[in-house]
Amino acid sequence: MADEESRKKIEISEICRVEGHSAVHVEIEGDKVTQVKLDVFEGTRFFERLIVGHHQDEIPHITSRVCAICSTGHVIAAIRAVERIAGFTPNATVSLLRELMHLGMIIESNATHIYALALPDFLGFDNVHKFASEHTEEFKAWTSLRNIGALIQTTIGGRPFHPVNLHVGGFSSFPKLESLLQIKSLLQENLQLTIRTCEVLMRFPPRVRRTSEPIFFALIPEGDHYGYFGTKIRATSGFECDVNDYKSYLKEEAVSHSHAKRSSVNGQPIMVGSMARLALFGSLLTGEAKSIYGSSAMSLGDNNTIWNNLAQAIEIVEAFHRAVSIVAELERTADVWNTFDARQHTRVKLDATAGSGCGTVECPRGTLYHYYEIDNKGKVSKADMVTPSAQNTYRIERDIQEVVSQLLPSETDESATNLRANLETLVRAYDPCNTCATHMVSLRIT
Amino acid sequence: MLSSNMSKGQERSQTIPSIAVHGLTGCAGELLVILENLEQLIPYVRVASFPFAQSSNEEDRPVDIAFVEGSVSQPHDLERLLKIRAQARWLVAVGNCAVWGCVQKGGCRNQSTVSLLHETYGEDSPIECLPATPLQDHVRVDVKLSGCPINATQLLAVTASLLRDHLPYITSKPVCLECKLRENACVLIEQNLPCLGPVTAGGCGALCPTYGAACYGCWGPCEQPQMEAMATILEEKGYDMQEVMSRLFAFGAPDELFERVKKNLTAKS
Repeated sequence: MADEESRKKIEISEICRVEGHSAVHVEIEGDKVTQVKLDVFEGTRFFERLIVGHHQDEIPHITSRVCAICSTGHVIAAIRAVERIAGFTPNATVSLLRELMHLGMIIESNATHIYALALPDFLGFDNVHKFASEHTEEFKAWTSLRNIGALIQTTIGGRPFHPVNLHVGGFSSFPKLESLLQIKSLLQENLQLTIRTCEVLMRFPPRVRRTSEPIFFALIPEGDHYGYFGTKIRATSGFECDVNDYKSYLKEEAVSHSHAKRSSVNGQPIMVGSMARLALFGSLLTGEAKSIYGSSAMSLGDNNTIWNNLAQAIEIVEAFHRAVSIVAELERTADVWNTFDARQHTRVKLDATAGSGCGTVECPRGTLYHYYEIDNKGKVSKADMVTPSAQNTYRIERDIQEVVSQLLPSETDESATNLRANLETLVRAYDPCNTCATHMVSLRIT
Repeated sequence: MLSSNMSKGQERSQTIPSIAVHGLTGCAGELLVILENLEQLIPYVRVASFPFAQSSNEEDRPVDIAFVEGSVSQPHDLERLLKIRAQARWLVAVGNCAVWGCVQKGGCRNQSTVSLLHETYGEDSPIECLPATPLQDHVRVDVKLSGCPINATQLLAVTASLLRDHLPYITSKPVCLECKLRENACVLIEQNLPCLGPVTAGGCGALCPTYGAACYGCWGPCEQPQMEAMATILEEKGYDMQEVMSRLFAFGAPDELFERVKKNLTAKS
């Protein structure tokens, strides 16, 4: 019976914070972790199928519904795919407004993850009433940052998520310059808050550590600044490729234990998201974001997963700077676009062009791929989406395996209790989106 | 209210009504709207359960108001919904998914769930799924608050009404009504855009037409939607019937309505 006694299981039966439901199963034999499964049991959605037959102009509004908090990312990825297929390049005003819109999402999404989802682990509160009443400073910081992100998206897109004003070919109408200038002032007034957010996160050193180095993937940013749009991917291994060929490097497969597909590159897990972007393109940061990153463990090569929370905070600082620059540029060129007539007639109607192509953006949680095949009537004949969470799943499983393996030899009741909390914190640091993600977990060690 | 059932140790629970916020299969948009408006709710309610936002959640106790987002798309959703219904005094369906089934209902209407599953996950997939359906197909729903996402002001008004023990009045007059009140130029008539405002429930304040875009129906059908007339207008504007149907029903609607329109249009042609 010795074998039976040495066989153990760790089950996190319901991890359900941030858009969906997932569980973790760990199997242990002796002092070896034999299997780790991240089971995403969110109901199946079939977006790649239900978009088939729809006109290319409808795609962004339907794919937006994959996920609310990164709906702006899904909308822009879909638009970029269709425009790439049609060979259309939007003008500078459209590009800048799309980028500003995207930064609004980065600010809102990262702030919500940091304060409402990740910080409870570090500050030790377990319900929203305590958050609002006992951690008022953090609650206010979250509200302010989130509201700025929401205001940017509402001003440009019409509402904080599932935007109505972004389309294939441009915008229905441009926002007024005055609204953008108000946003600029708000960004400047609240910059200190973004820096304080980084300082808060730097106070908490990681309690667990993965043991292998991750392979990071991120889009090479368009333009000469830190950014979220691109058509080429780069990895820390030195690999580079056009995203139109994503199927040549990114293997996506259905796994029997989960509703989420799992991605790998050459059979290995990869990591995408804020930390991956900083690892690859941290040299493009400016101002305070640059100096905070320079003083962080990450810039010295410490790629502990938990630092992804700080990486998200650093991206908020940079997003504030970049958003101010974008508004300044729009102000400089206002005579081109800020007339009543120009603001109303901004959208280019794209003719149906049969073809296929991939549109990509860096969402808060990593690279998002939207691939479409369009027929000569402008209808979708095939679609494929690869979400950041699917790309991170394999790496999350690897992290859990490494963390549990380290702790097994010295396991006591106390360390088992800590392990429970620490595994949740670890998974949560990935900020898993739309399907996985964590908070309310009942973890059972048998 | 039911708070008298709460245990003595929970001080807030004795004095303040409780709410629960649950997500079935959806995009979490309504959870996000509720999360972002918590500041306004917290003085008046105790958040007994909100797995999206907190780690300490009650599972087996009655609550005064349960907000449920998402459609029923798998057996697990149905089990949870039945449990939520049994414990809630008022059950509020929030968002298009919960009220109509949203894009999953609209997009998967003519495809078998099994073939979708096999094409997506392979033929030997053990995944259990159900065709996406709104909550009212399975349980009694006290308030249907549609939207994609819901309007935060409406959410707060509904909550205030229920806390005063009466059912709120929610209008589902067409978007056109709100569009006229905003004195927008009609994008359907003047710009020939495929605007679904005449058949879509308002509540958004005619958001799309106000930005100069066509309403694409994200709040689901309005009361007594004149779908056949809408289809005829779009056809006259040059859209083929396949596109008209896919646009009209993309964001979910009851099967009876879909079948009626399909039948009438087939008879006409």
